Amino acid sequence: MQVMIDGKAVEVEPGTTLLEAIQGNGGHVASLCYDERLDPFGACRVCMVGVEGAPGPLPSCTTLCREGMEISTSDETALRVAAAVVELVLSELPEAPGEHTALAVVAKQLNVTRTRWTGAVHEKDEDLRHPYLAFRHELCISCGRCVRACDEVQGAFALTVTGRGFYSNVTAGVDSGFAESSCVSCGACADTCPTDAIVELRLLELAIEQNGSGE
Amino acid sequence: MASNLIKLTRRHHPVNAPTALSKLSEIVAETGTLTDEDIRGVAADYRLPEASVYGIATFYDDLIAPRGERHVRICTGTACFEAGDADSAQRICDGLGVGIGEVSDDGSVSVAETVCLGFCHSSPAVRDNDVIDAGPGVIERVIEGTTVEAGEPPMRSLLAEPVLTQPGTWAGLRRALAELTPEDLLQVEMKAADLRGRGGAAFPAGNKWEFARNAPGEQKYIVANGDEGDPGSYIDKYLMEQSPELLLEGLALAGYAVGSDQGFVLVRSEYPQSTIILREAVEQAEAENLLGDNILGSDFSFSVTIVEGAGSYVVGEETALLACLQGLRGTVSARPPFPAERGVYEEPTVVNNIETLCNVPFIAAQGAEAFCNLSPGDSAGSKLVCFNSSFVNPGMVEVPFGLTVRELCEEVAGGLKDGAQIKAVQIGGPLGGILPASLLDTPFDFGPLAEVGCMVGHGSILAFDQTTDMRALAQHLLRFGAHESCGKCFPCRIGLQRAYELFSDDEPIDRESLEQLLETLELGSLCAHGSGMPAPIRSLLLHFPDELGLR
Ligand SMILES: Cc1cc2nc3c(=O)[nH]c(=O)nc-3n(C[C@H](O)[C@H](O)[C@H](O)COP(=O)(O)O)c2cc1C
Ligand code: SF4
Ligand code: SF4
Ligand code: FES
Ligand code: FES
Repeated sequence: MQVMIDGKAVEVEPGTTLLEAIQGNGGHVASLCYDERLDPFGACRVCMVGVEGAPGPLPSCTTLCREGMEISTSDETALRVAAAVVELVLSELPEAPGEHTALAVVAKQLNVTRTRWTGAVHEKDEDLRHPYLAFRHELCISCGRCVRACDEVQGAFALTVTGRGFYSNVTAGVDSGFAESSCVSCGACADTCPTDAIVELRLLELAIEQNGSGE
Repeated sequence: MASNLIKLTRRHHPVNAPTALSKLSEIVAETGTLTDEDIRGVAADYRLPEASVYGIATFYDDLIAPRGERHVRICTGTACFEAGDADSAQRICDGLGVGIGEVSDDGSVSVAETVCLGFCHSSPAVRDNDVIDAGPGVIERVIEGTTVEAGEPPMRSLLAEPVLTQPGTWAGLRRALAELTPEDLLQVEMKAADLRGRGGAAFPAGNKWEFARNAPGEQKYIVANGDEGDPGSYIDKYLMEQSPELLLEGLALAGYAVGSDQGFVLVRSEYPQSTIILREAVEQAEAENLLGDNILGSDFSFSVTIVEGAGSYVVGEETALLACLQGLRGTVSARPPFPAERGVYEEPTVVNNIETLCNVPFIAAQGAEAFCNLSPGDSAGSKLVCFNSSFVNPGMVEVPFGLTVRELCEEVAGGLKDGAQIKAVQIGGPLGGILPASLLDTPFDFGPLAEVGCMVGHGSILAFDQTTDMRALAQHLLRFGAHESCGKCFPCRIGLQRAYELFSDDEPIDRESLEQLLETLELGSLCAHGSGMPAPIRSLLLHFPDELGLR
């Protein structure tokens, strides 16, 4: 089938998502919960694009292409919503993310340099019990990438999302740390984490040095 | 959420056996709390990952609040907010000597919050173990330990021949099995009847059934959504408890039309009676061969399993409902896939509201035309509405579509008690807009209510009188919104918390920031919780801006 991306006609297979179609044709959309190795999740709502005739912007990672769809990656409303979401995300962290993190990169792409929101932030909660993996819960933005990587890629099921609403987070085992869980130390979670909430221990010092540099 | 976890859940689990969630609820009910050992034990028994069971245990309200021998749950729903004093919860805590979310040192008593017990006709309401007491003096009775089961006003109907407010007769199923093919029931009756879903989205039930019927898959499921979490609403409660046969017949008819032999009802745990009554009704129907194998000698078989929720508003959203039904965390999933293609245990599944299903027996028995003739206007069938305790005659009433909101409030419900004046009404739950008194002449129907930023929703009509503080109301609604956010999508997870915080002190609120936040919620959220919570706030901004403390 054919869709239009930013005015250019492209051929896609049925079942292709808008994000896949855009990336497959050299385009770019910012995203936080998407990882091409994992099933689309639709949680962060940063991958918004405009679609002609739709009542509002649509998340490109979970929306499927339809014949003749006209997609815009520079739709003003879509970019405004995406930036507003990233501004909210920055407000839940006790400190700005390191500049090399995916979150900081996305913020920069969307021109979000600060957050106006004050209020509750995630409490500092550092877990260094594992020999290779460090977990800094306060930096977790509940994107679920680590949980899905552990489930879909590794099949280890060591991780879960916990809690509800603003107080959602992620943990290993029965909140018992990686070592006391079914973790096989593959590092898939650290590899996909967009904030360094989970990071390889040997990179932790570097990550800490960089904290705050993303603002 | 995590694709392999769902496969894992299914592998070791017969579809109608109790889930890990049911087991966790049972442990909390028996021992008052969940230990890590309990969680590991359930994981081992159900062959689920320990982490996943821990995730479930930290999601549901029922599993989080520790319980003493006497567990007191104070309703924080909107009807009880309107009826109660701001300090009622504090008085109960002081009187019982224990704070919210705590157990007394000797383990004798605990207090927790809950959202809507379905006694909004008699607010304020408190649940004392399984006794629900409500109305004047309830706070004192809780403190003294003398609570009594509150009464419920009888249901009424304004129709010449009530459809939904009478016990089921199974005439629809009898006729369908004798005279209609599944295809006839779907095409000739259901689709022609244009029955719109009563659960909020008003989607035509016949079309949904057709998707599921045509979806590839041997095994299909029908799920009745008995989560009725909307504070102020007790319509589905009345139906489940007073006309359970009507619901079971509707489920069986859906099964017949769609080609499914297994139905579920997911009942919220705030309605302990509903679960008990429905289970008895299933047994009774099985004994009479109205459910079970080869119903009434036909080759159609259909079973119904009753499953209890564990305290979460968003579990009413259909994908979250199915997650809860499978015993998992009740978070929303992005669609597609729609439940009609991939639902319970990844099989095609119809999810319908309780009231929607209760309309089906009439359609099957009397036909589509009779159903369309129940209301004079565009919408087919009748609608159940219910009123909060501010009205002279609260209760659940079956009405034709098209009466004005004023007629409903003033004539059907008799206006407000003690000569109070209506300042505004909220229709159809927390995601519905708020209609100011000046717009009471709006017809009660899908189209006209949408034009004024409101919706039919579940059909609850909750009046605020002239003394209601609109800023406090906004804060109340947003507190609910933030507490109930499932946490899956970022706009709602963080945005509702920020919106609640904006209203939580006495500082002036920057109108521009607030409106930008509402837009982000509306356009960005994954489900109608986050995109709908701004609706009442928009109404307040439009009709009562001077009362919100804006700058
Ligand atoms: C936050 C949220 C809560 C919901 N709660 C309920 C509910 O309590 N009962 C219900 O029937 N539908 C509820 N719904 C709607 C369901 O997702 C679904 O549309 C409905 O059950 C379908 O049934 P119907 O087509 O018969 O209306 C809710 C939706 C959302 C987004
Ligand atoms: S730990 Fe990282 S990858 Fe996992 S949910 Fe949190 S932010 Fe996402
Ligand atoms: S809008 Fe709220 S309730 Fe709905 S998916 Fe997002 S976080 Fe969950
Ligand atoms: S990348 Fe699409 S919603 Fe997160
Ligand atoms: S019983 Fe309290 S709001 Fe319904």
